[in-house]
Parts: sequence; structure tokens; C-alpha cells
Amino acid sequence: MYQMIALYLTIFFEFLLALAFAFVYGESKRTSEYGPIQTKGYKIRKYYFFALVATMGIATILTLDDLPYHSAHAKESATTETKVVEVTGLQYYWEMSEDHFTIGDQVEFIVTAGDVTHGFGLYTEDLELVAQTQAMPGYENSVYYTFEEPGTYQILCLEYCSVGHHVMIKEIVVEPKGGVENGE
Amino acid sequence: MESSIHPLAKKTVIYYLMTTSILLIFMMILGVIMLLNQGEMIQISPEWFYKIMTAHGIGMVGVAALGGTSIMWYFLSKYIKLRPSIFLQNFTLSLIGIILIVIAIFGFNFSDAWTFLYPLPAQSAQFYGVTGPLLFLFGVLILGVGYLIMYAYLAARLIKEYGGLGKSLGWDYIFRGKKGYGPPPAVVATTMVVITNSTAVIAGAIVIIGSIINILIPAISMDPMLAKHLTYAFGHVFCNATIYMAVIAVYEVLSHYTKRPWKSNKAFLIAWNASTLFTLMIYTHHLLMDFAVPTWMLIIGQVFSYANGLPVMVVTAYGALMIVYRSGIKWDFASSLLFLAMFGWVAGAIPAIIDATIVVNHVMHNTKWVPGHFHTYMGMGVIAMILGFMYYFNKKEGSMKHNHFDTFSIALYFTFFTGIVGSFLYAGSMSTPRRWAVHMPEWVLSDQIGAISGIFVVLATVLITVRFFTGLKGVGKTT
Repeated sequence: MYQMIALYLTIFFEFLLALAFAFVYGESKRTSEYGPIQTKGYKIRKYYFFALVATMGIATILTLDDLPYHSAHAKESATTETKVVEVTGLQYYWEMSEDHFTIGDQVEFIVTAGDVTHGFGLYTEDLELVAQTQAMPGYENSVYYTFEEPGTYQILCLEYCSVGHHVMIKEIVVEPKGGVENGE
Repeated sequence: MESSIHPLAKKTVIYYLMTTSILLIFMMILGVIMLLNQGEMIQISPEWFYKIMTAHGIGMVGVAALGGTSIMWYFLSKYIKLRPSIFLQNFTLSLIGIILIVIAIFGFNFSDAWTFLYPLPAQSAQFYGVTGPLLFLFGVLILGVGYLIMYAYLAARLIKEYGGLGKSLGWDYIFRGKKGYGPPPAVVATTMVVITNSTAVIAGAIVIIGSIINILIPAISMDPMLAKHLTYAFGHVFCNATIYMAVIAVYEVLSHYTKRPWKSNKAFLIAWNASTLFTLMIYTHHLLMDFAVPTWMLIIGQVFSYANGLPVMVVTAYGALMIVYRSGIKWDFASSLLFLAMFGWVAGAIPAIIDATIVVNHVMHNTKWVPGHFHTYMGMGVIAMILGFMYYFNKKEGSMKHNHFDTFSIALYFTFFTGIVGSFLYAGSMSTPRRWAVHMPEWVLSDQIGAISGIFVVLATVLITVRFFTGLKGVGKTT
């Protein structure tokens, strides 16, 4: 979801930016006194500045409420007992204490690394990145995810870790409630 | 007070620009090779891919730094008498650094990316030997020392001329109510770069020396989190500083072409002071997915990354639009590229700011969205500023004149650079990871679009570089 919001917002704002530059370019061949242009320009700039600050302020308020960091966030949305899965990144594979889940499972992945820094990226079957955290030696990062769709998910390494970085993939299976047979 | 550039400094500007333009073409070719491989249009081994990736990353940072430095020195010389030997020593140490880095990568298989994230170099040293990592780290260190010496000299000159770095940043006008205009924009920007980038280079030197010690004596180790803070305090600020050096050309050249003054009024000075502070603070947006970092520090990373967009959007880019508006400006290679570069800078800042939002970063960090935004403000911003300056230099110091060939090159460069960054941003929105030698079939189409666009960008850059070298003959006659 956030990926599409990011893409469309970028296209929208860059289009406005391009319009502004194209307008000024179009007007650049005419000549006028600079003094009045500055006076008017500074007046417009005040509104522009406040509009930008307001946009950034609203974005801050809307997004800081949904941080992925703390367990409090996860506990708020938890409906069942959280499963704890220990994950260790190593050149070039993932060690996981459990890799089979059922729909509705809320999982706390406690992520670390055994050699160098890796990146734990959880991808759906459609290759959409839905959660990530860094896997750093000596540190444990907890990332929470509730599986709502069945399928084969993948853990991809998202922090460059040398020449086998792109083969560092681990499949995890999420089954429907009651097992594969009931879901078929 | 205006003074002219020293003849040796003018020659050194030529050395910088020649090196910048040649390196730029080679580094662009490396970038295209990576995209061709990801797009399954050619096949290279992962070992070679990651070596090329490392060379492309550090090489492009070097290109932007060398080009930006030449712009800063050239225009600052108008206002302050500078000793050219310092400028030359920075060039010499940069060259030594580049040579060591090239030997490390292609002679000793160093492929740990330009960010050399600790403890990766030490780990690689166990498999591939210590020579590659040591040569690379010493190369970057020597390059950094060159910059530190230059910044220390520039700081001393600014202090002597203006009475302190606060004064050359316009504090008299902001805090003490002094009337009129502050120091020239070139002086204000140089002061900002000296403060921020000296800090960055010192942070980088600490983590590099720590990594070197760790490779030689594994029993002595660093905390990986501290090392990551230092690495990004260095890398983030060093890359940002290239923009703040190069933008001096926008202030000087657009002002010259429009015959309108671009003076440092109070809003301008406040913006540059804010940039100084924010640039030092916001490197933590590179650590948003390190959950062990205190949350308040990560929120600062988001909020101040937003705020850091304001000076460029509200003051510098807006100023460029205002100074050009109804100015009757003569559009040629320099004025066109410098105007377009301001578009490129802001166009890159937009997806960068969006990515600094923690909830967005959670699903877009280390995807191709990231190279998408930094290629926009580096390729269509900083590099466009440097290419524009190359033309301006030949025109001002020689006899270069714009022709239709140049208009074609600019159109080619910007059209296809839009193709590159568009393909990257689209790939990022599809969750394509960055820095993967081999791509899954779902990601290949965007790589192919990027690769084809890249080929045309290389072509445009070759044309621009040929024009630059041809134009240098005219400069030689007047030097």
C-alpha cells in the first residue's frame, strides 16, 4: 500500500514541479523589472512555505502513529498469542526457529546476524515487501507481522552482505486454518 | 571585493574537470553494465557485478566531489584570495586515493560496496585476503585527508576574512540585526560545506581506522551499530556536500546571465544555517530499519529529513525560478543545465523525503526506490550542475559558443536520465531490492528500460565531454 502511495505522490509533486519550471521557462523570454517581481515573489513564497510546512506536519502526524518499532504497536493489534521466531542471518542463508505458519498467526521475528549485517525483508508470494528490519551482529531487532493470506512467502536479504547477497533467500509457508487440505 | 583566480588554480580547475568528465563516462558505463546484467541482456558473474557496483558507487561519489570542489574553488576565488597549492594537493591526494581504490577492486577483488559496512571488510579479508580491503580503506582515507586539509585551510581563510565561521554564515544579520546583505552566496555555501563535511570526514576517518585495525588485529573490534552511525554520518554528509558545493554555480551563473543580483538576504542566510544543522542531523534516516536505535533518534531522522527539504524548495530552487522569471535570459548550455539542475535536485528530494517517512521506509528501504531518488538529484542535479559549469568555464575563460549540437545533447541527457530514474522508482514501488546481481523475472523489464536509457545517457555525456575537451583549446590560449 505504502509503495503505491509513495509512487503516486512522487508523480503528483514532480508534475507540479515540472509545471512550475515550464511556466517560468515560458516567461523567461519576456523582460520585467526585477524589484516588483521580488516583492510579489516573496509574498507568494510565504504562502508556499506555510503550505509545505502544513503538508509535512500533516504527514508527520498521520505516520508517526504507526511506527513498526515497538511491541506496544504489535500488542495493540494482536488478537491471538504472538508466536516468537528466532532468525539469524548468515552468509548466505537464514536460520529460523520456525518456517511454517497458519493464517492469522501473529509472529514476532527476533532478528540478528551471525557474521556481517544483513537485511531481513519479508516478501509475499506476489513479491511485495511487507515488513523488514536490519539483521546486525550483536543486536536483536523484533519485527511483527500477521499473516492474512496463505502462500509461500520469502525472506530476502536487503542489506548488501558480499557476493552471495542475491542468493540469500528463505521460503516460509503459510497454510490456511485447518491445514492445506481444508483450505483446498 | 572581487579578485581573479590564480593561473595555477585555473589550470587545476582544468585538471579537476578533465578527471571528472573522463571518470564520469567510465562510471556511467559501469552503471549500464549492471543494468544490462540485471535485465538479462548480458551475463557477468556475481563477483564481477559486485566489483563493478563498488567501483560505480565510490567512483560516482568521487566524480561529484571533484566536480563540486572545482566549482567551489573557482567561484570562491572571486571573493577570497586562495593559495592554489592547497587546491592542487587535494587533487593529488584524490588521485592517489582513486588509484589505490581501483587496484583494491580490480586487482584484489574488493567488492564490499562503497559503504564498506563494518564488519564486512574484515569478514571478506578472511576469504579473499587483507590486501584488497586495506588498499580500499587507505584509498578512501587518503582522499578524506586531502579534503580535510583543504577544509581546514578554507576555514582559516574564511575566519581571517570575515572574523569567524559564524560571521561568514551571516549570524550578524540573523541574530544581531545587522542591516543589508550577508556575505556572497559562494562564501556562505563554502562555510556550510566546511563545517558539515569536516565533521563527516572525521567520522569517516574514525570508522575507517577502526576497520583497518580490526582487519590487522581481529581481537580489537568495534560495535557494529556505532560503526554504522559513523559510516552514514560520513557517507550521507559527504554526498550532500557535493550538492552544496556545486550549487554555487547556480547562484553565480544564473545571476550573471540574468544580470540580476542573487544576494544573501536574511531568508537566504537562515536557509543555509538550517541546512548546516539539518544535514548533520538527518543521516539517521539511513538507520530507520535498525530498531535498536532509540526511537526518538529515528523520529528526528524523519522530521528533520522533511525539514531539510525546505531550504532548497523554498529558497534556492524558488530563488532560481524568481531570478529567471521575465529576465530575458539567454539560454545556452550553461544556463539551461543549471536551471534544469535545480529541477533535478528538487525532483530527487521529493521521493527522498517520502522514503524518510518511517512507515514508508519499512517497505521501501534498500529497494531500488533509494537509487531512484539519489540518481535523480545526483545525475539530474549535481552532475548537471558540473556539466553546466564545464561549459561556463570554457565560455568565460575561453571562447566556447553554444550550438544546436549542445541543445541536442541536453535533450538527450535529460530525456533518458528521466528514463533511468523512472525505471528505478517504478522498480522500487514493486519492491525490487537494490544491489542484487541477479534479478527475478518480475523485475527484469524495468532493468531493461533503465539499461537502454543508460546507453543514451552515456552517449549524451560523451558528446558533452567531447565538446568540453574541444572547448578547452580556447582556454589554453588564454591561460
